[in-house]
Amino acid sequence: MPWLKGKRILVVEDEALIAVMVEDMLIEMGSVVVGPAATIEQALALARAEQIDGAVLDVNVRGERIDPVADALAARGVPMLFATGYGEVKLGSGAAATVIDKPYTQDKLARGLAAAMGGAALRQSAG
Amino acid sequence: MLIGSTTQKQAGEVPPAASPAAPGMREDRTTHLETLYRLTDRLYRAAGMEAMLDAALDAISEGLGCEKCSILLFDGGGVMRFVAWRGLSEHYRRTLEGHSPWTADTLDPPPIFVGDIAQTEESDIVRQTILAEGIRSLAFIPITSQGRVIGKFMAYHSEANACGESCRALAVTIARQLGFSLERAKAERARLAALGELQESEQRFRLMAEHAPVMIWMCDAEGRCLHLNQMLRRFWNVADGDLASFDWRGSMHPGDVERVMGAMGGALQRREKVCVTGRYRNADGDYRTLETVAHPRFAADGSFMGLTGVNTDITERERAEKALRDSEERFRMVVEAAPSGMVMTDGAGRILMINGLAEKLFGYARGELDGRAIEVLVPLAARDLHPALRASHLAGAHNPVKGEVTGRRKDGREIPLEVGINPIVTSDGIRIIATVSDIAERKRTEAQRELLLAELNHRVKNTLAVVQGLAYQTFRKTDAGARRAFEGRLQALATAHDLLTRSHWESTSLDQLVGDTLRPAGANRARIEVSGPAIRLSPHAALTIALALHELFTNTLKYGALSSEEGKVLLTWRHLDCEGKLRITWREEGGPPVQPPRHRGFGSLLLERTLAKDLDGRVALAFEPAGVVCVIEMPIADPGGHACLG
Repeated sequence: MPWLKGKRILVVEDEALIAVMVEDMLIEMGSVVVGPAATIEQALALARAEQIDGAVLDVNVRGERIDPVADALAARGVPMLFATGYGEVKLGSGAAATVIDKPYTQDKLARGLAAAMGGAALRQSAG
Repeated sequence: MLIGSTTQKQAGEVPPAASPAAPGMREDRTTHLETLYRLTDRLYRAAGMEAMLDAALDAISEGLGCEKCSILLFDGGGVMRFVAWRGLSEHYRRTLEGHSPWTADTLDPPPIFVGDIAQTEESDIVRQTILAEGIRSLAFIPITSQGRVIGKFMAYHSEANACGESCRALAVTIARQLGFSLERAKAERARLAALGELQESEQRFRLMAEHAPVMIWMCDAEGRCLHLNQMLRRFWNVADGDLASFDWRGSMHPGDVERVMGAMGGALQRREKVCVTGRYRNADGDYRTLETVAHPRFAADGSFMGLTGVNTDITERERAEKALRDSEERFRMVVEAAPSGMVMTDGAGRILMINGLAEKLFGYARGELDGRAIEVLVPLAARDLHPALRASHLAGAHNPVKGEVTGRRKDGREIPLEVGINPIVTSDGIRIIATVSDIAERKRTEAQRELLLAELNHRVKNTLAVVQGLAYQTFRKTDAGARRAFEGRLQALATAHDLLTRSHWESTSLDQLVGDTLRPAGANRARIEVSGPAIRLSPHAALTIALALHELFTNTLKYGALSSEEGKVLLTWRHLDCEGKLRITWREEGGPPVQPPRHRGFGSLLLERTLAKDLDGRVALAFEPAGVVCVIEMPIADPGGHACLG
C-alpha cells in the first residue's frame, strides 16, 4: 500500500493477539505503528503526544468507550477507523465515523483506512 | 204589529171595564177563586204542554165568560203563533196569526183591552175578519217568563166592553199562572234532556272502562270494592255479582302486603292520589307485578266517595329491566375482572366506563375519569391532534387496531402503553372499546435483551478476531493462501452472526443472508443471479448455509465460472411441495471447463459432510464439465402454507 508508506497510525486494541495482528498488517502495508495502546489512558497519552496521521480504534477498550480518545484525535483533525464487534455503532462525537466489523482481514483494514483517511491519501496513492 | 200599534194607542181610551151594565159579566169573586183553584190544580198535575194549555183555555173561557179564546206563543223565529184555541175559525187564525202588540223581548207589558173593534182604526181586513168571526171586544193578556213576553192569550167577546175590572185582574192572574207553568215545563224539558245526555255519556264511559285494555277499579270511602272492569275481573276470576264479597287483599304477595296496604290506607285517609306497585296472584296462580295509580273521587257536594284506580301489569317490563340490569352488571364485572385495563368511550371520545386496572394505570381514583374526554389520557404534545385521529379511525373501516402508544398519567408522567381499539355499533350508537396495558416492564426487558445480544455478539466477534489473530500468527510465515482461506471462512461466520444479531437470533431471511454473505464479491456480485421465494431460516441453518455459500463463492472465484470473464452463477431456491423441504441450487455456467479435483479439499468436505449433517439434509456437489452444481435439500419448519396438490 504505497499511500500508507511511512504513515504513523495509532492502534488502540485491548486484545493482545488482535493488536499484534493489526500491527503486523499495518507494518506489512508500510506504515509506522503508534502503540498499540491497550487502555484508554495509554491511548489518550499517545493521542496527545505523538505525531499521528491516522488511527485504528477498538470501540470498547476493557469495558470503556473509546470516545475520549476519539474526541482528542478529532480535535487534532486525525482521521479515524473504528473496529468493533457490535453490529452497529453510535459514537458520542457524532462525527460520521468509518467503521469496520471484527474480525477483519488485511484487505478490509486497507479499505477502511482508505475510506477514513479520504481523498488526500487516495490521491497520494494514485500518485 | 198592525193590531198592536192601534190597540195599544186606544188602550188608554178604553173606558173603565167595570161596567155593571155589561151583559154576561162574572163578577162573582167566589167563581173566580174556584176557577183559579182548578187551574192551579190542573197545571200542577199536567203531564205535558197540551194539558197545561187545555187547562188554561178552560180557565179563560170559564173565568172570563167567553166562548172564543186562544193562546199564542213566540216561535223560534220570534213570530207569535196560535198554539191552542177555542171557537176560532181556521180563516181567522190564518189571517191574524203573527199580529202582536209586543215583540219577543218586550219587558213586562200591561194587558190591552179593546172594547169595540168596530171603533178602532185597524185596517179593514183586520176589522172585517174580527167582526166576521162574531167578535166585538178583545183582551190581549201577555204571558211572561222572567219578565219577558213569551206569548199571550186572547179572550174574545161578542158584545162590546165585555171585560170589567174584576175580569181583568183574573185574566192577568191566569196569564201569570200559565207563564210560570210554561217556564217550569221548559225547565223540566231541559233537565230531562240534560239527564238523558248525562246517562248516555255515563253509559259510554262505563263501556269504555269495562273494555279498556287496562285494569280499572273503584272503591268506596272505606276501601270496599265497588267496581272492577272486565280485565281486572278476569285477572282475579271474580264474577260481577261476587264483587261485594271479594277481597283483593287475599291475592297479594305476603311480602308486599304491609307496604301496599299502608299506601292505600294513607290515600283513603288523606283523600289523595296514590301510586304503588305490588305483586298479586292472578287466577292462574302466577304472581304478576301491578302498578296502581288511584285518584280520589268526590261527590258534587264535596264529600269523599272513594278511589278510582288503574292497574298496569308491569311484570314483563320489570323482567326486561332486571335482565338489562343483570346483563349490565355482568358486563361490568367482566370488564372489572379483565386482566388488562379497559376503557369504553362513546363516539365523541367521552369515557363511559373504565375499569379499576386502567384507573390505577393512569393514577386516577375510582370514578374520577367517568364522563371525561379520553384526551385527558393522551400526552400534551399529541392531545390536540387526537380528536382528528379518532375521527379518521371511526370514518374508516371499523377494524380493531392494536399498537404501542404513549399515555399520560394524572401526575403528568408519560408511560409506554400497548392499546387495542375496537369500535362496536350498539343501539345507543357507536362505542369504542380499548384495552390498555402498561408495557414499561416489557420495554425494559426488551432493551435489556437488546443490550445482552449486542454484548454477546461483540464477544463472539472479538473471539473470532482473536482466533483470526492466532491463525495470522500461525500461518504468517508458512502459507499465506491457507491463512486467507481461513480468514474468509471466519468472515463468513462473523457476517452471519451480525445478521442473526440484527434479527434477535430468532429467524433470518434467506434472501438477506445471501446478500450479506456475497457482499465481498464486489463487482462480481452482478454475475450471480439470485431468485427464490421468501424463506425464513433458523439461526443454526443460517450459519451453516452462510458457510456453504462462502465456500462455493470462493471456489468459483478461484476455479469456477467467476474465474473467467464470461461465467456466471445461478443461485435459486424453492419449496419442495408436500415434503416440507427447501431446495437451494447453486449452478455455475459459462466458466472454463471443469475438471473434477484430484482430491477433495476442505471446501468439499465442509459442503458434503458437515453441511448435510448440520442441516439434517442432503448435499449433492457435482463437478460437471459445464460448471459446478451444488444442490442442498433441507427440511424447514415452516413450509409457508404451500398447497399440496395430489
